[in-house]
Amino acid sequence: MAEPAKLELLTRRPGEPGFEVHEVESHQAYLGFRPERPPSTEWELTPQPRGVDGSRNYILKSHKRDNYLLLGPQEYFLWEHFDGRHSLNEISRALHFEFGSFDFEIIRQFLAKLYLAGLLNEIQTMGLRRGVARRHERWWERSFAAISKYWSRLTFRVSHADHYCAALYDRGGFLLFRWPFLLLCGALLVGAIIAVSRLWPHVAEIAARMAARPLLSTAIMLVTIVFVSMLHVLVHALACKAYGRKVRDMGFFLLQGLLPTFYADVTDIFMSSRRVRVMVDFSGPMVEVMFGSVAFIGAFGSEPGFGQSLLFGVGLVLWESALLNLYPFNFLEMDGYNILADLLAMPTLRQQALAMIRRLPHRLRSGKIPDRAEWIQLGYLALCFISVLAYLIAHLDAFGVKLPAWRSVP
Amino acid sequence: MNSSSQSVREFLHKVAFLQDLDDQTLSILTLLLVTKTIKSGAVIFRELDASDALYIVEQGRVVVSKHVAGEVDIVLTRFHPGDFFGEMGLFDSAPRSATAHAESDTVLWQLGRDAFHRILSDHPAMAARICHRLVTVFIQRLRATNEQAREAIRWGLEATGYSPEDTPATFGRKST
Repeated sequence: MAEPAKLELLTRRPGEPGFEVHEVESHQAYLGFRPERPPSTEWELTPQPRGVDGSRNYILKSHKRDNYLLLGPQEYFLWEHFDGRHSLNEISRALHFEFGSFDFEIIRQFLAKLYLAGLLNEIQTMGLRRGVARRHERWWERSFAAISKYWSRLTFRVSHADHYCAALYDRGGFLLFRWPFLLLCGALLVGAIIAVSRLWPHVAEIAARMAARPLLSTAIMLVTIVFVSMLHVLVHALACKAYGRKVRDMGFFLLQGLLPTFYADVTDIFMSSRRVRVMVDFSGPMVEVMFGSVAFIGAFGSEPGFGQSLLFGVGLVLWESALLNLYPFNFLEMDGYNILADLLAMPTLRQQALAMIRRLPHRLRSGKIPDRAEWIQLGYLALCFISVLAYLIAHLDAFGVKLPAWRSVP
Repeated sequence: MNSSSQSVREFLHKVAFLQDLDDQTLSILTLLLVTKTIKSGAVIFRELDASDALYIVEQGRVVVSKHVAGEVDIVLTRFHPGDFFGEMGLFDSAPRSATAHAESDTVLWQLGRDAFHRILSDHPAMAARICHRLVTVFIQRLRATNEQAREAIRWGLEATGYSPEDTPATFGRKST
């Protein structure tokens, strides 16, 4: 690590001859640094429901940069003390009195977060490039970064998404969130359940007719899935508008850096209540449910043939898609996961659980009993592993693996 | 002058911008220099003073600083015997860009702008050699200034907890 930077200051006493020279190291100044949050017009802070461990998180929104920070209890304490009157030395002492021993790195990382969000003003205009710090990566890290860079070019975003969503909501989108439409959805769902129950005895023939034209079936399925996925995120965005919050962004990205998917950035709903967040999360999968229902009812009303099979297949795929989206235990931050995280008031459950994997061997050796939040993280991890494993086993045939005899038994 | 001509010439030979001059030329130059004795802590010139001379340090130590706020300056550099400073004053009439204090009892030799202009007009060969050396020193000082600016920025970043290596993630929810 480099030596701390030093400055020499020359000071005079008013009215007296001579001067003194003092050498000031940067870390001395750091302890005396008095961070000051900007005026309250530039940010918004919303408390979140208490978590299972009784602690409360906060969402801090920067109006200037339009981004959001999740503050844990210690970070909230720091934010409250960043009033420009207290030095970091005083604040760290107060933090110690409040929370007991802590890692000083928390303060450094929190400052870095605030700089990134434009919530501390001093340094942000320097325009320093973060890339400068990454000159000495290994070849495989560089290769991975290059591949990621090209892969990430698949992403795109819609400019002025909030403006378009607001216009669409005002021009009829609001109808989706009125009682008559919800009643219609309920009726469609009931009709679809009846249709499926009537068609189920003929499912083998339906599947055989679709399998007879595999390319056409697959192409239609793919187009349908892409179209419904777009509507899915659009409904999330409209739901966000229905509760008066902003849609930050919409587009196409790689979920967890891997899975190409459409998205609507609805982070602004964290400035609303938990109920609103759950409603917004729930609204998206309802698109698959509704379109799937229409397809099943259409299949029921059709004469036996390729068209009926296709409608039945589309309905099945869309309902499965809704189920996967609402199922929280798959390591992906899809709607079901978001609902779970909201209900548990653990907005970073997945990240915490993944971090737990690294800590787990040490925790087991130490013999320390996990607290309630850690039990939940462990439970989430276990269910995710089991679910993914079960899903893979159920789809082994898709990978060309010969099915075991017990699965072939009718 | 408080030294013999020989010892003066020996000393001046060590001054960076005079190293290319022969004894005869240095003898001419010494006639144009004026000695000044400054007590420790006294000001030699202040920032924004009129600028009209270059100084060579014969004895002592000079600290050069620039005003930051109130009664606080930042130290830019120090000069020791054989160093020179205030050379900008030979070429333009802009006010002094920094303040020079004697950090200990100091003896200086002053070369005024008028005297320098006399050298330029009467001894063009000598002036050319001096200017060439001065340019070399300017370049070295410019490099040092760049380095100093970099250190000052590093100091500022460290003192305010800003690290460009940190890439903390902001919070967000993308509904998919």
